[in-house]
Amino acid sequence: MSTGQAAPAASAGPQRASAGRSKLGTRQKVLIGLAIWVGGTIALIAIAGFHGHRNTAFEPQNEFKLESWIPLGILSINKAVMYLVIAATLTSATMIYIARRMQQRPNRVQTAVEVVYRLMRENIAGGNMDEKMAAKWFPFIGALFLFILFSNLIGYIPLPTNTEHELTIGGLHIPSFSLYAATANLSVPLVLALVVFISYNVEGIRAKGLFGYLKGLVPAGVHGPMAGAIFVLELVSNFMRLLSLSIRLFANILAGHLLILFMAGALAVLLGAAWLGWVTLPLGIAMFTFEVGLVAALQAFIFATLTAIYLGGAVADHH
Amino acid sequence: MAALASQLPLASSGNFLVKPGVGLMVWTLIVFGVTMIILWRLAFPRITEALDRRQKTIEDSIDTAERTREEAQKLLAEYRQRLAEARAQSDEIVQRARHTAEAHEREAKDQARVIATEASARAARDIETATARALDELRREVADLTILATEKVTKKVLDDADQRRLVEEALGELDFSGISSGGAQD
Repeated sequence: MSTGQAAPAASAGPQRASAGRSKLGTRQKVLIGLAIWVGGTIALIAIAGFHGHRNTAFEPQNEFKLESWIPLGILSINKAVMYLVIAATLTSATMIYIARRMQQRPNRVQTAVEVVYRLMRENIAGGNMDEKMAAKWFPFIGALFLFILFSNLIGYIPLPTNTEHELTIGGLHIPSFSLYAATANLSVPLVLALVVFISYNVEGIRAKGLFGYLKGLVPAGVHGPMAGAIFVLELVSNFMRLLSLSIRLFANILAGHLLILFMAGALAVLLGAAWLGWVTLPLGIAMFTFEVGLVAALQAFIFATLTAIYLGGAVADHH
Repeated sequence: MAALASQLPLASSGNFLVKPGVGLMVWTLIVFGVTMIILWRLAFPRITEALDRRQKTIEDSIDTAERTREEAQKLLAEYRQRLAEARAQSDEIVQRARHTAEAHEREAKDQARVIATEASARAARDIETATARALDELRREVADLTILATEKVTKKVLDDADQRRLVEEALGELDFSGISSGGAQD
């Protein structure tokens, strides 16, 4: 853990040094951190040995396994449903709270929310659709962006949801804390992508008629047998959007969570090598920061932007 | 590390990771739908309204500032014009005052000259009158003295004819031109 603490301390080095709390420079702090990291690894190898015993009982993928908590047949409540509900509640509560407290002179939080709101309204929706379409579809695109963003973000907060490994404290069985995201389950992005797929196709057919819409799949200027081949290709690519949209989000979030899981100790547990946990911990922290700071918002942005592009393209005059 | 990695259970039982579940899909649809409706009805309109209102306020403020600036410029131009007019008026007033003063000065000088001329003429007239009066008195005195001297020399009283002749002769011999004209001029 000391390496983890050394990194933020190193980043704030010059300010603290000037404040007189620490006389160490950034470079010295980094070197100390590295020394602790390498020293800890050597010490752990010396204590526990290089080769460990493989833990066959531990299956990391089970972190993502959905166990039915409340059996309701096909609609059984499980961990993913709980995450969805938490994400929905947080999204709604946050936005309603901010909406009710909108001030003429915004504070920092409101300014940040306004930046996100303008990004959704003017860049994602307004930038890819005409004014009328953007106004009509903004609630859908905005809700998609925020819902995915909140779902991704709460996935990086450890919650007591791992019922496979329970902690017993004072006779109480408490699920162990773990990271999980609803969007790391294919079903969630898939159904959202399905809604997007249906929406833009229906919108396109409504705007141009079924024949006009299908005809619009072939780029202008392509005639003859080539038009038929391109029509088939475009039709297939249209269905591929369903997969690309859902798998992009699902795979990114799942991969991020797996990497954090492995770097933060799962690899060491799996292989029974204690030193490996120490070595990968800084990478785990870096990966966690990267996922929270960039991937969570970026994936939500990509999903919402592609939705707007598909909707805008479906009603556009030319393919 | 390679030796350790080779021991990993690669996708031994992880099929559920890529297998969609209908139940979760239905839940997602419901939860997302509800979220969208809540945001659409309760959150987005208020935020949009607040942002639009602020934008309108900013636009109004810019318009007002623009108008105020234009008015200020107009006022400044007006003040400058008035200042120029006032300056021109003051110059005119000063010019007029100078002309009036000069006219007054000229008038006063002319008047003084007239008064001086009149006074000089009057003085000359008075001198002439006084001289004439003095000459008359002198003539009378000379006549009386001449008669008295003659009577004393001749020891007789002269009659009127002799007296007139004597006086005229005496007066004729006297030259008063120096007194009458030269005295007046001196």
